[in-house]
Amino acid sequence: MDNSPPPPSNESPPPQPPPPQATHTGSPTDFLKGVVGKRVIVRLTSGVDYRGLLSCLDGYMNIALEQTEEHVNGVVTNRYGDAFIRGNNVLYISAAEPI
Amino acid sequence: MDLSSSGIQEPFDLIRLSLSERVFVKLRGDRELTGILHAYDGHMNLIMSDVEETILIVDTDSVPTGQGVLQVAKRKMEMLFVRGDGVILVSPPART
Amino acid sequence: MASQILPLELIDRCIGSRIWVIMKSDREFTGKLLGFDDFVNMVLEDVTEYETTPQGKKTTQLAQTLLNGNNICMLIPGSVGPDEEG
Repeated sequence: MDNSPPPPSNESPPPQPPPPQATHTGSPTDFLKGVVGKRVIVRLTSGVDYRGLLSCLDGYMNIALEQTEEHVNGVVTNRYGDAFIRGNNVLYISAAEPI
Repeated sequence: MDLSSSGIQEPFDLIRLSLSERVFVKLRGDRELTGILHAYDGHMNLIMSDVEETILIVDTDSVPTGQGVLQVAKRKMEMLFVRGDGVILVSPPART
Repeated sequence: MASQILPLELIDRCIGSRIWVIMKSDREFTGKLLGFDDFVNMVLEDVTEYETTPQGKKTTQLAQTLLNGNNICMLIPGSVGPDEEG
């Protein structure tokens, strides 16, 4: 549920206790836990797609991708070893392999 | 959170590791920059030097199906502040 | 007092069933709702994306997808989407 960005440092203990159930609830947080390290398709509101390995993301939906391909209208237009995508541009993150 | 292959735990780590390196920045309005990254903040405001800007001028009028390419304009700037809300993507140099 | 249902309660009751999502732009999604958060970011499964472009309509099939709540305009519970009226 909590979609706020993680605290910048780990000096203080986390304020909230862990969620009571670790089972799959289907929440956005659970989805993201399952999809980190997997191949994903990130579509921006502009319609441009980025396909790559999801390294990590934060509460703003800022995304770090590895082995990234940029697709415009189904055509590869760029490749990046790493890419930081600013979250406000993100329309969706879709799993491109089984979670 | 899990880190896959690298020492990256949050997306901003990617930017932090690119400080003093030449980066590629994709901006709204079909603009692209390459330059040395000197500083950034949580908004993705950037300070870059030795920048080359590439502006893609998409001529949609002449090609009714859209995506009519285009004309490319380039220019250079010594030092630049980039407002974070225009940033779409930042790509650091390849890590080894 | 008449019993009132909060908007997000309605969406909560949709979890597990199909939902039609209409974005602020010319873009729509249908899929099975797995969950959502306070921002109405939504996790959908077996998703169809519908785009209306100058070149015509385009659909894309997607597996499990996290849809950013920022650009959502309307939600229609239990609907199969723009193809047939549910």
